[in-house]
Amino acid sequence: MSRVWTRDRRVVTAGGRQAAMATELDGEEETAAAAGKLTGSPQLSVEDDLREMAKNAAWSVSSYKPGNNVLSLRDDNLDTYWQSDGAQPHLVNIQFQKKVKLQLVILYVDFKLDESYTPSKISIRAGDGFHNLKEIKTVELMKPVGWVHISLSGNDPRETFINTFMLQVAILSNHLNGRDTHIRQIKIYGPRPNPVPLQPFHFTSQEFISYSTIR
Amino acid sequence: METLMVDRVQNSLRFFMHRNAIFLCERLCAEFPTEINLQLLATCYLQNGKAYCAYQILKGTSMPHSRYLFAMSCFQMNLLQEAEAALCPANEPNVEVPDGAAGHYLLGLIYRYMGRQALAIEHLMQALTLDPLLWAAYDELCVLGAIEEANDYFSDMAAQRIQQQYLSESSSLNSSNGSEFYNLSSNMAVTSVDSIPRQSKQLGNNTREIASLPLSVMIAKVPASNSGSSNFSQYITPPAATQLSGVAPPPLCRNMHVSFNVANNDVSTKLNNIAVQAPRRKVLDEGKLRKVSGRLFSDSVPRRSTRLSAEAIAVASSNRLSAEAIAVASSNATQVIGNGNGHTSTKFLGGFSSSSSSKVNAASSRSLTFRKGHSWISENFDEGRRSEAFDDSRMENMATTSSSTSMSGDSRYLEQGKAIGDLAQDSRLINGAQELLCLLRTLGEGYRLSCSYRCQEALDAYLKLSEKQFNTGWVLSQVGKIHFELVNYFEADHFFDLARRVSPSILESMDIYSTVLYHMKEEMKLSYLAKELLSVDRLSPQAWCALGNCYSLQKDHETALKNFQRAVQLDSRFVYAHTLCGHEYVELEDFENGIKCYQSALQIDQRHYNSWYGLGVVYLRQEKFKFAEHHLHKAYNINPRSSVLMCYLGMTQHALQRNEDALEMIERAISADKQNPLPVYQKAIILVSLECYDEALNELEQLKESAPHESCVYALMGKIYKRFEMHEKAMLCFGLALDLKPPAADVATIKAAMEKLYLPDEMDDTL
Repeated sequence: MSRVWTRDRRVVTAGGRQAAMATELDGEEETAAAAGKLTGSPQLSVEDDLREMAKNAAWSVSSYKPGNNVLSLRDDNLDTYWQSDGAQPHLVNIQFQKKVKLQLVILYVDFKLDESYTPSKISIRAGDGFHNLKEIKTVELMKPVGWVHISLSGNDPRETFINTFMLQVAILSNHLNGRDTHIRQIKIYGPRPNPVPLQPFHFTSQEFISYSTIR
Repeated sequence: METLMVDRVQNSLRFFMHRNAIFLCERLCAEFPTEINLQLLATCYLQNGKAYCAYQILKGTSMPHSRYLFAMSCFQMNLLQEAEAALCPANEPNVEVPDGAAGHYLLGLIYRYMGRQALAIEHLMQALTLDPLLWAAYDELCVLGAIEEANDYFSDMAAQRIQQQYLSESSSLNSSNGSEFYNLSSNMAVTSVDSIPRQSKQLGNNTREIASLPLSVMIAKVPASNSGSSNFSQYITPPAATQLSGVAPPPLCRNMHVSFNVANNDVSTKLNNIAVQAPRRKVLDEGKLRKVSGRLFSDSVPRRSTRLSAEAIAVASSNRLSAEAIAVASSNATQVIGNGNGHTSTKFLGGFSSSSSSKVNAASSRSLTFRKGHSWISENFDEGRRSEAFDDSRMENMATTSSSTSMSGDSRYLEQGKAIGDLAQDSRLINGAQELLCLLRTLGEGYRLSCSYRCQEALDAYLKLSEKQFNTGWVLSQVGKIHFELVNYFEADHFFDLARRVSPSILESMDIYSTVLYHMKEEMKLSYLAKELLSVDRLSPQAWCALGNCYSLQKDHETALKNFQRAVQLDSRFVYAHTLCGHEYVELEDFENGIKCYQSALQIDQRHYNSWYGLGVVYLRQEKFKFAEHHLHKAYNINPRSSVLMCYLGMTQHALQRNEDALEMIERAISADKQNPLPVYQKAIILVSLECYDEALNELEQLKESAPHESCVYALMGKIYKRFEMHEKAMLCFGLALDLKPPAADVATIKAAMEKLYLPDEMDDTL
């Protein structure tokens, strides 16, 4: 079993998260980090104005090994995982009942436990359905341990969210050229709706908020 | 042995030694399985919270008090149909509700939870008429929205009634012998049942209530065998008398004479005399009648089983009876007679058979003395109650004249002394009653006004209380609630805090307090409150509501929902827990379940406007604007002073394209609460949609003053300036809006607007 290389704490990932473990630094890893590869963080940190969107979505996977099916992706249990059982790319499909605004996809993967089952290249696609999915983001992971945050925003402030019916997380390749993949948890985040209906903007000040609802 | 056991059981109950009480009572019931003992056992079970046991043993019993206890156990087990059937048997529509005021109150509650509001209100009002100090009935009536004037319920008339109650109670307690004889005599009066039904019917004609019917029914139940003296029927006429007259003292005087005339032969002549005078008596107030009869019934119920008929007794005590009856007849005739109905007779008879006749004589004279005094007083107060014709002084006169009608013989002096003593006691009693009623009136006024959401007036009412009463947990938390309704969260916090300091284990309105803290976003205080409430009582729904609010404030809606559901489980009749569950479901966007929760809240309390509001908001979110308007309107009807509700109504009407109505509603909202910035903002939005940009800008400028840190104000202003093509101003406003740190969604929108600033206004629907 080769030594596990992880990042130095000071190095920051593309998503702005830091690795928690400080272990030996390998030169190759540093360049990889500089190349923008993601690694995980033990903390799931999401801004307050975002919330989990996919509770009422329809989740499906391209293939699974019996006993490790799609439920393990949503059970809030980091010990259970989904294991695929087919050809690459492995797909996780999330379909919503109506168009929703999404900002963030977060996966929990663990290289130390899963080694060659850990995804290394992930592509995120969005669209109205299976027929017109378009890739919106591709990320590469480098021996991730923990939560991997993948932001769906573009550079333009107008593109903070994507507005879509369906999201597809495609695992294009795994570490060490593994065939099948393990993913332990996936969460999808989008903006909170305005608690006050029919408003063009959210309220920010205490004066407005305290008069805005009856509880 | 039986009486000993009964005594021990009651003693254990008094000292809360429940296991002892239950054990002994079970032995008692095994040994002497009478219905009275069953009632005692049921009481033990109910006091120990074991309604199901009480239910088991009381099933099928028919005595009034048993039926009351059975209904109580059914109510606690939520078997509302059976409870109603017990109190109001379907095949006997005119039977009096057992236990008077308490029975009516329970029936009112049952109907309320069954959803039959009108019946509930009727019975609760009945309960209050029977017992003016029954605050719980008044409370329920306020919640049901049925109180027009607190003064009606805690008036001076009520004072008289209370006095009467206490008098008849004290009289029956005064001397056991005396009470027995009292019962006997009144019973004997009852024996002249034949004409009484006639009387009652007349009364029925003259008075509004149907109470006379139950009375006649009860009277009819008295076995005819008791009336060994048919000549008594002659003096029944008194109740039919319709005029209040100063004649009272003389007949009374004559009664006295009669009473001391032990010889039987006197009776009939005297009776005739009295009969002549009696007709002048006024018809009694049915309410009094029922009340007193109810009271006496409850006293005498336990003795029903010992009913005997002893003609000898009937004859021997006929003098007493006649005197009694006459005295009574001239004033509360029907009352006492009714009181003595059936039960009391047997009570006496049972007792009588065990005593010697001489003893009877002596005791009877004593009881008569006492009875006289009583009947004087009650008569006086009765007359006082017929307030239209009387004033106090006259009453006093009568009392003095009655007392001064001296009778020869020591017994008479005794009577007099007793009478005067009783009078003094009565005046103290009436003063006490009046004071209490005054206090209840103020409290009732405040409570009623706060239930109809007339908050300012309610506050004024509560401020009239004395300091000692004001500084109690209940009043302080009510004041806190009023401030909460007025959206003065700071004041509300202050008062609730005071309430908790004054009575640290208060639980009742603490769920509202937690909502206040939620609105104020005071996480620390809220979690502290929740912890404290849980430590006071882990099984109270308020504590779990507070904890749920705490989680909700931290945006953990699932846990909050779990906590609110726990509160619902602990007490499914606690309305607010249901409403809060609904709110959490809506936050989680589970609209179906949210609607279900709001509807269950409304089933419990139709006037809980928060639930109507919640339903309105759900439909707003689902864009079903007509439904939303209907529900918000319902909420508005219940609480027409809430500026938040008016604001929402205005928003809905705007969404329905009814802009004039919307603007009118918004204006009302603005005038209802000057400190609420939201209606002004909504007005600006409507004006923008109507393209009245200048006026909209005016409103927004106003808002800039009152809420300087509100990002949406600047965002909207920026939008307007963009329309005017005043690009620098627009940029400035957008920049300011962004500085105030709106959430990400708004940042996106505003930045997009900034980018598009120099582009022509295409289909700019979002902005």
